[in-house]
Amino acid sequence: MRTILIIEDDKAIRDELKQLLETSGYKVILLEKFDNTLEDILKNKFDLLLLDINLPNLNGEMLLKEYRKVSNTPVIILTSRVGEADEVLSMSYGADDYITKPYNPTILLLRIANIFKRMENNTNVFSYDDIKVYPSKGLLIKDDKELDLTKNEMIIFTCLLNHRGDIVSRDELMTELWNNEEYVNENALTVNISRLRAKLEDFDVLKAIETRKGQGYKLL
Amino acid sequence: MKFGKYLLDKFIEILIVFLGYIIILMMLLAFKVSTDVVIGISVVFVLICFSVILTGYLKRRKFYNHLISNVEKLDKKYLVLEMLNKPSFYDGEVFYEVLYDINKSMNENVKKYEIRLNDFKEYIELWIHEIKLPIASLTLMNHNQKSKIDKRYVEQIRRIDNYVDQILYFVRSENAEKDYLIKEANLKKIINNVAMRNKDDLLEKNINFMVDVGNIRILTDSKWLEFIINQIVSNCIKYTKDNGEKIIKLYIEEDSKQINLHIYDNGIGIPSKDIKRVFEKTFTGENGRTMSKSTGMGLYIVKKLCDKLGHKITIDSIKGEYTDVIISFAKNDFYKIGN
Repeated sequence: MRTILIIEDDKAIRDELKQLLETSGYKVILLEKFDNTLEDILKNKFDLLLLDINLPNLNGEMLLKEYRKVSNTPVIILTSRVGEADEVLSMSYGADDYITKPYNPTILLLRIANIFKRMENNTNVFSYDDIKVYPSKGLLIKDDKELDLTKNEMIIFTCLLNHRGDIVSRDELMTELWNNEEYVNENALTVNISRLRAKLEDFDVLKAIETRKGQGYKLL
Repeated sequence: MKFGKYLLDKFIEILIVFLGYIIILMMLLAFKVSTDVVIGISVVFVLICFSVILTGYLKRRKFYNHLISNVEKLDKKYLVLEMLNKPSFYDGEVFYEVLYDINKSMNENVKKYEIRLNDFKEYIELWIHEIKLPIASLTLMNHNQKSKIDKRYVEQIRRIDNYVDQILYFVRSENAEKDYLIKEANLKKIINNVAMRNKDDLLEKNINFMVDVGNIRILTDSKWLEFIINQIVSNCIKYTKDNGEKIIKLYIEEDSKQINLHIYDNGIGIPSKDIKRVFEKTFTGENGRTMSKSTGMGLYIVKKLCDKLGHKITIDSIKGEYTDVIISFAKNDFYKIGN
């Protein structure tokens, strides 16, 4: 399980972030005092740091600069400052991503997942039982049979695969598609899912996607 | 400064001198002085009077003509005192000193307002960062209990966030200081951010959102441009037609000098009498009055931001058919040096 350290001085946001990340399957450490922030950070073991720039008595950018001297752990900056200059500055101090408040929680989770995906540094192949999934090629391979998926179908399939066994809501699928610049509407999503189903059936994967009425879809 | 008017102004002095001359003349005649002497004295007297008036006039003419021509030439007329030499006549000196004091007090007054305005702007910026915190909390809270709370809450939070952004960019667009940064940006990415912000609205109203901008890179401040496009897309969403397929289409046209981004919608359009005024401050027009409440600030801020960034923005529309907003980005290799 991945551990995420949150440095955020607004208690309400901190607690909600913790809940959000924990329900998404991450372990969360919170920092509640900001007297010896850098030492406190270094005392903990974690895989990702969520850092607020506006901290009491402390400049988040300077903290990041100091932190980068001793560690390469990924850092995502969370801020309410809306400015190109702030973003450029943070990135130049070594932030891996920069998100302005109020952020769309689904997007925040996507960005976090992206950073972890990059860290794993794998060749971007997933597997679904005995099927190999190549998202970048839009290809499923089982033994010597190949199945071509369109970009939309692949996005839907990998999203369901990443949450295998859990219900994924239509809204989450929609967010994932839109985030990948596929601006489909509700009808198109339904069509894409039934096409994906039909293709999987032809590929001898029977009844893989289950519909939960009013909730979403589940990949068995 | 005209000599005739100056003479008229000196009428009383001339009258007194003339009366004095009459008295002297009568005295001379009473003492039976010879006519030649009378004529001689008269000529000398007139000459003295004339040269006194003329030197007075010339001194003043030099000072005032300089003042008038400077005022005419300057576009910031209140700076005229900086360019003036101190006059060499007494009433001029008094006048100059008074002007100097007035100027100084006005400068202090303006400065006071400048400081107040800056304090106010700083406070607004600070306030916006503060208000973003509860908005962020609400968004997260909402998401964490999404099974219980319905989507209309998210929608309202998003509206609050949009209005807050409007104030932020209004303050920034009014600010003389440069707090934007022009660099190469990926247009597709900026449009994606706008799409994500408006996703729920677009799906709710069943609008086809089409984007065809390739992988083009433009010179802009991406945060500012995101705000600009978001304002325009929000308008597209607001002013759709009730029936028929709804379309919002973003695409680019390119020539050797510039890249034009079209934001096209097949909504209710803008009446031709209103189209010239849509960028005016607080102008709401027919659509703003009949469709929904509108502040008339959105497009005004958009225009100001475009001007600052050096992007040209135009609107083309036919009422009842379409609206096409075009933002033109200059292609300038000069900026690319060093990349």
